[in-house]
Amino acid sequence: MSTFRDHKTIADRSVSDRRRHKTKIEKAIKEGIHNIVAEESIIGKDGKKKIKIPVRGIKEYRFIYGENDNNQQVGSAAGKEVQRGQKVGDRKSDGKQNGSQEAGDQKGEEFYDVEITLEELGHYLFNDLSLPDLERKKIKKILSERVKRHGYRNHGIRPRMDKKETVKRKLRRQAAATRTGTYDPDDPDDNFSFHNEDLRYKHIKKSFKEASTAVIFFIMDVSGSMSTEKKYLARSFFFLLYHFIKHRYEHVELVFIAHDMIAHEVNEDQFFKRGSSGGTIVSSGYEMAMDVINKRYHPNNWNIYSFHCSDGDNFPQDASKANELAERLRDVCQLFGYCEIECDPDRRQWLAGDDSRLSNAFSFLEGEKFKTVKIYDKDDIWSSFVELFGGNVNV
Amino acid sequence: MSDWDLDDLEEWDNKICELAKKYGLDWFPIIYETCDYYEMIGNMAYHGMPTHYSHWSYGKSFERTHQMYNLGAEGLPYELIINSDPSIAYLMRENPIYLQILIMAHCTGHSDFFKNNRLFQDTRPETVVSRFRNAKKRIQGYVEDPSIGIEAVELILDAAHTVQFHQNFGNRKKISHAKLKQKYTDKIKNDKNNEYIEFDIEKIPLEPEFDLLDFVLEHASDLHDWQRDVIQIVKDQAEYFLPQMQTKIMNEGWACFWHYKLIHELDLPQKYHIPFIKSHNQVVRPHLGGINPYHLGFYLFNKIEERHGLEECFIARSISHDVSFIREFLTEEDCAELNLFSYIAQKDQYVIDEISDDDGWKKIKLALTKNIGINSIPRMYVDSIEGDNTLVIKHEHDGRDLELSYADEVVTRMSTLWGGTTKLITIVEDEPWEI
Repeated sequence: MSTFRDHKTIADRSVSDRRRHKTKIEKAIKEGIHNIVAEESIIGKDGKKKIKIPVRGIKEYRFIYGENDNNQQVGSAAGKEVQRGQKVGDRKSDGKQNGSQEAGDQKGEEFYDVEITLEELGHYLFNDLSLPDLERKKIKKILSERVKRHGYRNHGIRPRMDKKETVKRKLRRQAAATRTGTYDPDDPDDNFSFHNEDLRYKHIKKSFKEASTAVIFFIMDVSGSMSTEKKYLARSFFFLLYHFIKHRYEHVELVFIAHDMIAHEVNEDQFFKRGSSGGTIVSSGYEMAMDVINKRYHPNNWNIYSFHCSDGDNFPQDASKANELAERLRDVCQLFGYCEIECDPDRRQWLAGDDSRLSNAFSFLEGEKFKTVKIYDKDDIWSSFVELFGGNVNV
Repeated sequence: MSDWDLDDLEEWDNKICELAKKYGLDWFPIIYETCDYYEMIGNMAYHGMPTHYSHWSYGKSFERTHQMYNLGAEGLPYELIINSDPSIAYLMRENPIYLQILIMAHCTGHSDFFKNNRLFQDTRPETVVSRFRNAKKRIQGYVEDPSIGIEAVELILDAAHTVQFHQNFGNRKKISHAKLKQKYTDKIKNDKNNEYIEFDIEKIPLEPEFDLLDFVLEHASDLHDWQRDVIQIVKDQAEYFLPQMQTKIMNEGWACFWHYKLIHELDLPQKYHIPFIKSHNQVVRPHLGGINPYHLGFYLFNKIEERHGLEECFIARSISHDVSFIREFLTEEDCAELNLFSYIAQKDQYVIDEISDDDGWKKIKLALTKNIGINSIPRMYVDSIEGDNTLVIKHEHDGRDLELSYADEVVTRMSTLWGGTTKLITIVEDEPWEI
């Protein structure tokens, strides 16, 4: 009595609404991403690898009741003992309840795991910033021969023989022969074989691409006063810097220099994990950087970036040496960023006027190629980053 | 691949219809459309409507369901049927025959509910499909109009969506401002007891206005025609869906009640019987810590039949909505049997505050009725327009505070619609609060 029919497919009907939703999510990513990226490890990931980023869903607002004492929710617990005062689940945790206890999720905090590659991440993060074009130095040619297919030839080496094209030529010849009567397809004895002239080879062309190269020096104070929290902030900051520079250059190398009283070139893992104690001699880090530059990265061939994170302390006797080396380092760099991290607001105030603070001591260097930024908490990372590159913070 | 074809469906449908008729069910003719799972999710995103205007929220809804489905967190609902005459229902091709039979019986129950429940009387099911199609075309037209464009249309849609369900509910008919003014003018004229001596006849609105979109349409001054039209479309569609929100428990309960009853009398082959029972139990299982409307509705209709007979079930399906249904039929015994409890948020945790014992069950029942149907939507009304065109919306506080972060956003969007400042007056932690 009812009617049955096949659903008339409206070619993927929600596609335009999904696209629209996606643009909104992308906007949300752009607005909120820099708070999230901090967790990621800097290297060891190539640009193609996908990372998952939880993005707060685009909400549909309406008047709803909040969670408070008077707003009781009701649930059923068939077959289970329940008592007053019994706890039935945790709040928050992104609005998802743990375990099977499904509690009132009035606010409906939604998170989407958006999978993006680091390349896309760079795109979101950096493309819309109104950053000035970074000056490209003398470009070092990397002899990366790019091999490109370029038509076909009659001669070539065996491995490049193109079977399809060869067969096509043979067929063409065969059809012509059939038409002129020199070949009879119905005759089983008439064997039409390949000729030398049928053979076709793929032709390839080599092209050279000019690649720009950069090296980044991450210098960090790992002395006793650099707490885990400060290192964490430094790490987030370095992460952004790395990806930004990587985004602009085709080839980027990293050098990690950790210093306390003396400097060491270390790998990324050691750089962030290594605890140290003792005092700080900043010049040791710069000296090491200069040393590495002289040995491996000639400024004529490399775009050099140096970033130094510290809490601002330095051994007083080192001051003049540090200043001198900082200036030298600045001169060979495209950009030398000094970042002072101080989480404790009381200390900050107390130290603000202290001339021996690196941020104050370095003020004479300030200019196009030297920038000082200060990071007090996680929220400052992004604005410091933008400031460093001369962009507009409110983008 | 599948163990059925359209002929099989027709054959079983005939049996279902015959039985259903015998029981006195009275439903719209049903058109079953077979589709694959992707189309199903697509249709779900638009509430099953064959055509629907575009808005990003439906794309979001699609992504969400799709993601959930892929994660295996959530099976697709077995059925999707819309309140139209004829009703349109979707059957997923991937489903085996026993499930199709269950769904068809279930849909028959829904269609009967749509046709007979009092709340659905004004939904005009015979024209709904063309109304939606028409609305889609108009909105599409505005989007494509170079002088309007998608951003502008979206702004209005976003804003209108926030308050779309704040309408006059029940059978209260909208009275135009002019008529109301006439009514009060008459009252003032014949005011023998001086009741209206301080009544301000120029006040807008004269009575609290619960239909927020309607108020905007009637009194906002700077709306373009297309904006009015968009708001009207949202309002109409919300009005169409409101009865379904108000009868979720009953509607699902009724459908489950009937698929269970009908299929037991269908002479289902043994090999279908066990999977059928399994699917049925899956649908009507209680959700630990929550309320499954399928379960509660199914349970209650069975209890009503047990206690008062089948006739009473039919009456309830005609005249009740979820709130009155629970109020009337949920007993102390039921609360205990379902082991209902209520809980509140305390700091980082949810803590049970009442259980279904002698003292607790009434409180739980009250809490339940507050969280279902129309009661889950805070009652908001337009109180007045203040001096500089400020719209004053008041919250009829019933003990439950609003979620302010959300209210804030709604007020912002309301200002967009109103074309002026909007003020919200509510109570937070027993103190007056203004946004």
